[in-house]
Amino acid sequence: MFHAIVRVVPGSVIKVRREEKLGFLERLYVPAIAKGLRVTSRHFFRNLRGFVTGKRRTDFVVQYPEERVDYADAFRGMPVLVALESGEPRCVACGLCEFACPTDCITIVPGETETARIERHPEVFDIDMSRCMFCGLCEEACPEEAIVMSREVEIAAYRRDDMYFRKQDLLVPEALLKRRLDFLRGEYRRASEPAEAGE
Amino acid sequence: MEDHASPLLRRLIDELPQALQETHAQHGDATALVSRAHLLEVLRFARDDSQLDFEMLTDLCAVDYLPRTPRFEVVYHLYSVSQNHRLRLKVQLSEESPSLASAVALYASADWMEREVWDLYGIRFEGHPDLRRILLYDEFEGHPLRKDYPKERRQPLVGPGN
Amino acid sequence: MSGAYFPKPGFDSEDDFGRDLHTEHQVLNMGPSHPATHGTVKFLIELDGENIVNLDIQVGYLHRGFEKECEAGTWYQAVPYTDRLNYNSAVLANVAFCLAVEKLLGIETPERCQWLRVMASEISRVADHLTRCGAACLELAAMTPFLYGIEARELTWDHLEMLCGARVTSNYVRIGGVKHEMPEDFPASCRGYIARTRELLADFDSMVTGNRIFIDRLKDTGVIDRETCLRYAVTGPMLRSTGVPLDMRKDEPYLVYDEIDFDVPIGEVGDNYDRYLVCVEEMHQSLRIIEQCLVKLEQLGPGPVNVTDPRIRWPAKEGVFNRMEELIQQFKSVTEGPRVPAGEAYTAVESANGELGFYLVSDGSAVPVKVRCRPPSFINLPPMAKMLEGALLADLIPTFDFINMVGGECDR
Repeated sequence: MFHAIVRVVPGSVIKVRREEKLGFLERLYVPAIAKGLRVTSRHFFRNLRGFVTGKRRTDFVVQYPEERVDYADAFRGMPVLVALESGEPRCVACGLCEFACPTDCITIVPGETETARIERHPEVFDIDMSRCMFCGLCEEACPEEAIVMSREVEIAAYRRDDMYFRKQDLLVPEALLKRRLDFLRGEYRRASEPAEAGE
Repeated sequence: MEDHASPLLRRLIDELPQALQETHAQHGDATALVSRAHLLEVLRFARDDSQLDFEMLTDLCAVDYLPRTPRFEVVYHLYSVSQNHRLRLKVQLSEESPSLASAVALYASADWMEREVWDLYGIRFEGHPDLRRILLYDEFEGHPLRKDYPKERRQPLVGPGN
Repeated sequence: MSGAYFPKPGFDSEDDFGRDLHTEHQVLNMGPSHPATHGTVKFLIELDGENIVNLDIQVGYLHRGFEKECEAGTWYQAVPYTDRLNYNSAVLANVAFCLAVEKLLGIETPERCQWLRVMASEISRVADHLTRCGAACLELAAMTPFLYGIEARELTWDHLEMLCGARVTSNYVRIGGVKHEMPEDFPASCRGYIARTRELLADFDSMVTGNRIFIDRLKDTGVIDRETCLRYAVTGPMLRSTGVPLDMRKDEPYLVYDEIDFDVPIGEVGDNYDRYLVCVEEMHQSLRIIEQCLVKLEQLGPGPVNVTDPRIRWPAKEGVFNRMEELIQQFKSVTEGPRVPAGEAYTAVESANGELGFYLVSDGSAVPVKVRCRPPSFINLPPMAKMLEGALLADLIPTFDFINMVGGECDR
């Protein structure tokens, strides 16, 4: 039914080196143990040196609550609302993030304000963090840079209700989000540079 | 029938004209709509013919086009390792009798995929050796990938204590 | 042998010694929450002593309705869900889905975007293979190599985080582009990562590959032959271990794989040892590909990474903030999403486990009619029952490890 097929694909195919017969030494367990000890002790002393001198940490264990890893600039944590200096959100309740969200975890009720500069603001802005999957589509959709992904990830709670974040829980002053906003602005600039150069 | 510049489809059209209802090669994917009665014949020909030589049934799935009749379509994706070409076969099924001959005897890979289609679409495969639910549990009611199954529908709790 | 030492009834005479003992088969339930089943699969094992007579694999414990969810949202909103298929190598599923949508749309992404996609996919492939080999060592009671494998994976994920913004659920690839350009310090950091990963792989290799205990556990266990592989449509390292050099990157070159120099490793016997060696060699090849991508990206210089059609890719943010037309366009594209022409398309990429395909059907609207994922884990799993017929129960562990069934992808 089946033909003996081995088609030659473009590019090279290599056969893996397979040890068919073990030598006498390999069949003894002793050399393997010595080899293993050599590798593990090398790692041990290197980590020890790094740990004592503190110069170059090569061990990957981080003593978590005391020590924290620094996430990359691009890191996406939980979405938060950027607060203006007045404490009001920058959000204009256009609802684009609500549309973009794949899990429907954002609830917005728009309202009108008296202040002249921004006429609309969200009366209600809730994010159900138990459904949010940190995909960042809300941030990408936002035309006002009002919702951004913060660096906060420690949001575990004992009850589901505690995972439901209201507008007041989500507001973060702009100064605290500087790293994310700088990263985003840098990315936006880089994204539009080649397009403008090509025009 | 057209051949869409695909030697694969040309070969099928020449050899089994009675089994094919329609062919196309949209986006370069050779596709043939096969009549329900001739499915196994076409599959066997595709496997054993030296020019087609499809050793693999890579994928088997169903599509529900709800308002349309016939409602269901079962889609077979074949791949030939030796010739490096692909073929898509489709069979249309009506809502009243969603059943089809099983391809397990021809391709062993059809076993789990047919179980999956039965599980999620409720399409029966006649002659399948062991047609039971695979992704969902036995007590599940309905077939969730049908378009008329609401996404929000809750299922009864099962297990001890319920 | 006399009855004095074996005082059991029935063994008194020499004649009785060779008599067939009528032992009953025992049924053993393994999983769904067993450490070696990665949490999501159940084996019903019928045992004759220690030998497997019959194996029933029950999957579905991680079924989350991926296809149903995709059919409920726009094309755009399906991309984050594809991250959750194979959570060891999320970018590969992103790429596969976006390529399939782009095939329906009939568009081609800019060259720089394609190189970025290739680089991100290969970094994920390394992460996937490291998890597979590391976890297999752990489950064969070799703790130390696992730690080196996981250290390398940690570095891999750190670099995915630098590139994509998240370690596991990367959500990097977009329909018609990628999320953003790579950071400026990425190439230098990535070269350091490649060098360190090679060191760790050498350590891993010296501890495991020639080790007799490891070889004894892997060699000639879980053997599968070429014909069985083809009949079960098995692809990926499992098929290559039997000597068939099938690799979608070579056979149906997508993105820019036809410009990249890399080798396809194959085995000959098709046992677990071959699969292990193929995986290790593939990691080295992937590191080579990443290096070539870095060189090429530096050569290309800054350039667009997204298609400029705002009906497909959301417009650039600078414009949205400053110009009215782009703002309107942004509102239109977010609320409606890209409209994909009616039709059907199937695209396959080489994922870490084999051929990962997406079969999409569109009716011309913004919501997909069908998003079918052809999951390699799901399709590579059924022959396991055949591979283990008559084998020892202990062979199940390495065999299952090197099939590398990932629950998220298998059960969707």
